[in-house]
Amino acid sequence: MREVVTVQVGGFANFVGSHFWNFQDELLGLADDPAADAAFRTAPLDMDVLYRTGETLQVEPAYCPRLVSVGSRGSLGSLSSSGAPSLSSAASDQLNVTTWSGNVTRSVEKPHGRNLFLQSLTEQEPNPSTSNGGNNSQKSVEDKDLVECLEKDVNFWTDYTKVQYHPQSLYEMYGSWTDFDKFDNFGTAREVVSEWSLMEEMNEKLRFFVEECDHIQGIQFIVDDSGGFSSIAATYLENIADDYTNTPVLLYCVRDPVTHGSSRNQRDTITRSLHDAVSLSKLSSFCSLMVPIGLPSLSQSSLSPFLSIQDAKPFHSSAISAAAIHSVTVPFRLQNAGPASNIAHSSGNIDMRELVHIISDQGRQNMVTALDVAMPAPSLKDGNDLWNMKSLRTLTPEISDEEEDPYSVESLVVHGVLRAGGHRASISQVKDSVYSAYEGRATKPKFSHLSVSPCPLPIPLPFPSIFRSHIGQHGEILSNHAEGTQPKGSLDVESIPMAARLRSSNAVLPFIERRSLSLQKFGVARGSLGTQILRDWGFGREEMEDMSEHLSKMVRAFHPEGGLTSDSD
Amino acid sequence: GGLVGGAGDIKLTKDGNTLLKEMQIQNPTAIMIARTAVAQDDTSGDGTTSTVLFIGELMKMSERCIEEGTHPRFLVDGFEVAKKATLEFLETFKTPVVIGDQPDREILKMVARTTLRTKLYEGLADQLTDIVVNAVLCIRQSDQPIDLFMVEIMHMRHKFDVDTRLIEGLVLDHGSRHPDMKRRAENCYILTANVSLEYEKSEINAGFFYSNAEQREKMVTAERRQVDERVQKIIELKNKVCAGTDKNFVVINQKGIDPPSLDLLARAGIIALRRAKRRNMERLVLACGGEAINSVEGMTEDCLGWAGLVYEHVLGEEKYTFVENVKNPHSCTILIKGPNDHTIAQIKDAVRDGLRSVKNTVEDEAVVLGAGAFEMAARKHLIDNVKKTVKGRAQLGVGAFADALLVIPKTLAENSGLDTQDVIVSLENEHDRGLVVGLNHNTGEPVDPEMEGIYDNYSVKRQIVNSGPIIASQLLLVDEVIRAGRNMRKPT
Repeated sequence: MREVVTVQVGGFANFVGSHFWNFQDELLGLADDPAADAAFRTAPLDMDVLYRTGETLQVEPAYCPRLVSVGSRGSLGSLSSSGAPSLSSAASDQLNVTTWSGNVTRSVEKPHGRNLFLQSLTEQEPNPSTSNGGNNSQKSVEDKDLVECLEKDVNFWTDYTKVQYHPQSLYEMYGSWTDFDKFDNFGTAREVVSEWSLMEEMNEKLRFFVEECDHIQGIQFIVDDSGGFSSIAATYLENIADDYTNTPVLLYCVRDPVTHGSSRNQRDTITRSLHDAVSLSKLSSFCSLMVPIGLPSLSQSSLSPFLSIQDAKPFHSSAISAAAIHSVTVPFRLQNAGPASNIAHSSGNIDMRELVHIISDQGRQNMVTALDVAMPAPSLKDGNDLWNMKSLRTLTPEISDEEEDPYSVESLVVHGVLRAGGHRASISQVKDSVYSAYEGRATKPKFSHLSVSPCPLPIPLPFPSIFRSHIGQHGEILSNHAEGTQPKGSLDVESIPMAARLRSSNAVLPFIERRSLSLQKFGVARGSLGTQILRDWGFGREEMEDMSEHLSKMVRAFHPEGGLTSDSD
Repeated sequence: GGLVGGAGDIKLTKDGNTLLKEMQIQNPTAIMIARTAVAQDDTSGDGTTSTVLFIGELMKMSERCIEEGTHPRFLVDGFEVAKKATLEFLETFKTPVVIGDQPDREILKMVARTTLRTKLYEGLADQLTDIVVNAVLCIRQSDQPIDLFMVEIMHMRHKFDVDTRLIEGLVLDHGSRHPDMKRRAENCYILTANVSLEYEKSEINAGFFYSNAEQREKMVTAERRQVDERVQKIIELKNKVCAGTDKNFVVINQKGIDPPSLDLLARAGIIALRRAKRRNMERLVLACGGEAINSVEGMTEDCLGWAGLVYEHVLGEEKYTFVENVKNPHSCTILIKGPNDHTIAQIKDAVRDGLRSVKNTVEDEAVVLGAGAFEMAARKHLIDNVKKTVKGRAQLGVGAFADALLVIPKTLAENSGLDTQDVIVSLENEHDRGLVVGLNHNTGEPVDPEMEGIYDNYSVKRQIVNSGPIIASQLLLVDEVIRAGRNMRKPT
């Protein structure tokens, strides 16, 4: 077992993380549940990779995510930063001050209410009437209310989290008066980042989790890079690179579709472009692999035939990114059955270092990868059929749909896929089907890696109702279904077969090129409009040129004259 | 005050800086003042509340003049003159402190106590006074600037205990990771290292990196051997320096140590800690001596530090390692025990301010009489000597500035439930008689701060006097623009 430590920085990153940990929590429950789908029990993912065993403050054993979550003050909603539900108002009334004998002024913020769902988590005993079979209808009415309450009203990522977090996990950044200065570009976080105690505290939290790892395989880092958090993450990543030099960092840059709003004026446009360029340059400098996720619209995307996503709800859009990230982590957690075992429970387990090696160290030295998902992944048909590669739809914005690239390198994860008839497909069936699909491609990738697990994505109760009506209970696509009904949610869909692919190919070139060009055009060129903006963000001439050069280098990795020839020997 | 957040998180504070950082301020003027006040804290470690008060009072005094028809420009000019004169006055008013090799511990204690008593009740403040003074004197090395990072501030959550103590040495917030390593050892060599003692390459099973299993096996073995050799070098050094004695050997490593390496070290009787925080590497060397090594090649006894006692303390799932009785304590730890997070946080904030006040005194080589004495004297100087040297309406600015200074003694009086006007009158009388007095906040009587040992930091005062009028002037001139805009719009 090799540990992964997870870091989440920024608003939307924590929305994504909240879903991600809900999946894990669901898996933990299903592995012990005799009534659960056999796939969850017979070949479970190794949860110790992501979780740690420890004690709560009340000295009870606790199994918690190895996680550091960073957000702004107030973003935890009704959850206290110690990971416990908020103190009752009575407890804060009894607050006695032992350090001061003079007058005390008390200012109490109106407590955030705990929604129906959160309340249901803390109810110790399940209602006895629901445990006998006769009253099942009553129970499902209750669950329906919970699902509905989340569809109606989610304000904080903590509103739908069902996970117990470690007291070291949650970090709220104080101050910075963000209501006034909008925290929406790289420069706005300057003051925050320069506050040494803040970075020090964030480093300490991470160190707590890394120190106890015997064989850390890597750090997965989710950042909301749409605004100031990008700069905070860049500084954090730089510290991580210093402190844990040889530990790979897999970085996901996630964006809420609503942050793609149109610009009001030219200055806005330039600021946005520069922000994107500076973010790419800075973030890519201190990670091993970078995965941009965040289409400007999911409701209009190619996922829409299966999923009904409301772009305005981060509760919805973050669920897709979380599902994709879950799939990418599957190979890190496959149990190694060993060569002696005849029955393959899984195939293609690799750790984070190997993944990085596969994607970015072979052929092109490109570390920006596209992420594609099939959600749900299509079922295998009978006979020698080719797995449908076209079912993979990209979540990475601004890339080309160029498929033909002989130098591309891919890592594909397929888990929980079904056969016709609704049975789980065996590992070898999936492998055969996928391999023949690769064989059938006109231009084969330079290298591809495949990981297969029978474990589908579990759909926990607090998952949004985003499945179209023709998605079945196990994520199969139903042929006979009623049109135009309401989207289905966690009460109708138990699990979803998934496929996810990380892809380093020239499809991502436009993403990088665009940023490289805007930095040259708006930032570096003499007398350009953006120079002043960059200066306000604290970048001198030299640093601008360094960033620009860094991006140009990333672009050059794609041009055949730039080193690929040496690889052909 | 006590702040209770939306999720029931509690923050206790007497510290203006903490308060400002916790508040969600929306008014742009307030944000500007808040930023200045927090910057004040960043540079001199204290004075946030005074800065806010002073700026507020300058604005209040200005408002009166403006209502009576004075143009803000005159006020700003007057502020400039008054500021310059006050800073000059501060130079003559301050009390020089001779630092030298043996600083005057008493005066350092007075400054620290004055600061701490503004944040904590007297008994607790007085208990911390010695600790912060001793901590700064411990890390101070002649001819070098004081680096307060060399004072580690640690905390432990403890059910009943409220206690703070100074450890001449270090407390690390982790322990060894092997069951067979000693939990307590005396007479310890300390090896401070930044060397990877873990096998970092992954176990290859994807199958395509190496052409065959044998080659793969070879690579894995070779890499493991390199790690083992590094561990072996450390064990050799241990055997060399410890063999035949009752001495012990402790490795504190910034990088990782994996279980096979821990096993080897444990079998050799070595205590090993991994992933020590970067700053502790520096602190360890300052506390224990020796040097931080980046490679095990050419390691000698000279690289090693020394500690009389190393022991582990377990509290729930948290482990602490104490490194005490060290050779040359130029780094130390202040350990705060408290029953809950908000008590710990408040003491920690106060300790930081206390440390800064001692450091400031050592660096300023001066202190300023407190309890409002300076503000009273400076006001008198401005009214008696400076105001008349200014021509025209700028005089109003000097007057406003002088009156605004009174906000400090006024607030002291207010906080003690005294009548502010009575207090100011009686203090003024004393100053008119040529006595430099401040306010005894218990009795409301004038008091000689020198006798009572109430001293403030020179640099803090200087910064308040300096930045207050700058911000007030900016606000006044912005206001002027707004006023002008409003007037232009009116005729339409």
